[in-house]
Amino acid sequence: MKCSRCLLPLVRSGRTAAQRCVLLPSTSQLIVQHNEQQQVLRYFHCSPASAKRGPVPAQFVKEDEQKGTKSLATKEDLFEQVAKEYKTKDTFNKVIDVFTKRDIRRRGHVEFIYAALKKMSEFGVERDLNVYNKLLDVFPKEVFVPRNFIQRMFNHYPRQQECGVELLEQMENYGIMPNTETKVLLVQIFGEKSHPMRKYQRIMYWFPKFKHINPFPIPQPLPEDPVDLAHLSLTRIANDLDARVTIYQLPCTDFTEGGEEIKLPHIVGIQSPSQMEQLAKHNPKKPVFVEGPFPLWLRKTCVYYYVLRADPIPLEERVEEPYDPERCFDYPLQLDLDLDRDLGDDESFDVDDLDDGPVFAMCMTSQGDQATLNQWISGLQQNNPILGEVPTLFRLDAGTQELQGAADTEPGYRHQPHPEAQREEPQPAEDPEAVVEEESRRSHGMKQ
Amino acid sequence: MSLPKISCAPASRLLSSIHDLRWLLRSVTPLSVPRRALVQSEYRRPGQPREDKPQWQMFKFDFSKGLEGIKKHFKLLRHEFSGRLVGPEGKPIIEHMLEQNRVIWEFRGPDSLQEWTLSSDREIGGQSEIYLKLGRNSDTCFLYGTLQNAPPRDGETRYSGYCTMRSKQPLASFDRKKHYDWSSFNTLHLRIRGDGRPWMINVATETYFAHQKYDIYSYFLYTRGGPYWQDVKIPFSKFFLNNQGRIQDDQHPLWLDKINTIGFTLGDKAEGPFQLEIDFIGVCKDYAHTEDFAYEVYKRNPEV
Repeated sequence: MKCSRCLLPLVRSGRTAAQRCVLLPSTSQLIVQHNEQQQVLRYFHCSPASAKRGPVPAQFVKEDEQKGTKSLATKEDLFEQVAKEYKTKDTFNKVIDVFTKRDIRRRGHVEFIYAALKKMSEFGVERDLNVYNKLLDVFPKEVFVPRNFIQRMFNHYPRQQECGVELLEQMENYGIMPNTETKVLLVQIFGEKSHPMRKYQRIMYWFPKFKHINPFPIPQPLPEDPVDLAHLSLTRIANDLDARVTIYQLPCTDFTEGGEEIKLPHIVGIQSPSQMEQLAKHNPKKPVFVEGPFPLWLRKTCVYYYVLRADPIPLEERVEEPYDPERCFDYPLQLDLDLDRDLGDDESFDVDDLDDGPVFAMCMTSQGDQATLNQWISGLQQNNPILGEVPTLFRLDAGTQELQGAADTEPGYRHQPHPEAQREEPQPAEDPEAVVEEESRRSHGMKQ
Repeated sequence: MSLPKISCAPASRLLSSIHDLRWLLRSVTPLSVPRRALVQSEYRRPGQPREDKPQWQMFKFDFSKGLEGIKKHFKLLRHEFSGRLVGPEGKPIIEHMLEQNRVIWEFRGPDSLQEWTLSSDREIGGQSEIYLKLGRNSDTCFLYGTLQNAPPRDGETRYSGYCTMRSKQPLASFDRKKHYDWSSFNTLHLRIRGDGRPWMINVATETYFAHQKYDIYSYFLYTRGGPYWQDVKIPFSKFFLNNQGRIQDDQHPLWLDKINTIGFTLGDKAEGPFQLEIDFIGVCKDYAHTEDFAYEVYKRNPEV
């Protein structure tokens, strides 16, 4: 088919011989695709229906035989030839297959494996154990196994051993536990007393010990839905198993009168019965503060939460309510025993008890402006009527993320009796705070 | 057996007091051997020029500083002598023998921040930042900053992105090294408020041999995040030995009689800001904990 050959652009970029044109069988249909590096990729198709398949291995083999411009061909080019949207596990496996079938002696396998390790994250397979095993399979077997004590002594085939250790190290970095197949491969390739085998033994010793030591484990695939994520993180930080999560608003789009679409954020709040009790006992003359956003990291994602809290009650006003003896009939809640504790029995530390003030509720929302938080407070008010009388102050500070002291300025103010919340902009009051923060950051720089 | 070093930056660096002598750099090329080539120095960032100043030029002679120094050191010496009259370590003997918990570090004023040293991978060319300040009401310390994973482009370093805070070595009068003696305790107790990031606690002890210089015993500190304080109790039997960040094959329990420093490291490969608030760090004796050591002591990787 002469016209198809005319369609073949001869692209000469000095990188590899892979950019040579390939003579096509006349029956196949040709689709030319360019990626951003101006390389031409061609796919052999039997029918247009299979247009989505990646490049066929035979293509690589043929191109290498072509004699083109003498340019440096790196092993990474095999991976880079795959177009961006086709970078999947299948194509990665195919590239490995291409390499292994090309040469029985697997010349250049060390560089190939290094290149493959670098390119794994592009293909999205860096956490897949089978891919690592397949990559380990690229090593020729039994060649590098030392056969006598001299070879064992002298670091037999050091480059290959180093490469094996690198592969295992990447597995270790991503926290992937190797399996028996890995062990069998390592024994076949390097023998039992080699560096990669030692590394495998170390991984197999330490990983199980550290796998479950997190007292606050995070589920492995984090929930994608922001509401679910908010639910998970709020139950995590609530520190109370009785706390109840309430979804005040689901993410939706709302239409204003002008016809514009507004995306309403989700508002998920949490409050426990003891927090509700504390809020009910709060003095209505003292204000409560809505502070935020505070960061919370769940593995690699950071979510932000807001807190409704009040200042700590000064000592004079603290009222000690006696325990209600009818609350628990199984055992007495208060014992008046006069036990003289010796120095050796004192289990409490000699520190002042820190009192940050009670936290009444927490919430998570994607948009942390005053309007959304107002909505949250109104939602909370349904269960805590005292919020109607208590002045609520907003301290939405994007600079520092620590609970602010009692003497700080009060940016936003919301007075409940007026149904329309006065949205005073917190900006002017925040700016001096932001400036102060900058200065303190510079002065408390890295201590050398 | 020469596998080239896959350099993983040391987890925390010891920066001693202000009279720190800038140690000389080790030689790399056998051709031109500097005068003081045999002295092992601290980490030299690749690409940094070597300092070849003679040793007498490293000192800074200042009269007023000298006077202050004399005053400070003699005061410390006087305290030491008068402390001996009270009892061991300046406490009455009955308290020293029977105490079940002790608060080692508390953050109740700006002076308490002077006991700590900060470090991040900025020293090797990365971009992480770390800062320390007092928390609200001057009651806690607030450690915050940003973590960046991009390794410095010096051709050697492959991984980067760490921030640490390490306590300074306690010093007696005339800058003599003092050690913490925690032999009557068995648990480390911290009260912290983190942001969900996993940290690592590193305890460094006094060592004798040169190859033990960077020996550190570590364990993980998982924070929950949230506005509530978190009490963390880690028994000392759980600390595993590692040297320069590489966990060792031969493990042994942490010896509590000569502890030098404690440190916190963050290196969880998650780029972004972090914060950690610490209320106090103490040690206590947990009678219910009977474990000697959590890891196997026998030889697990016998020689070839």
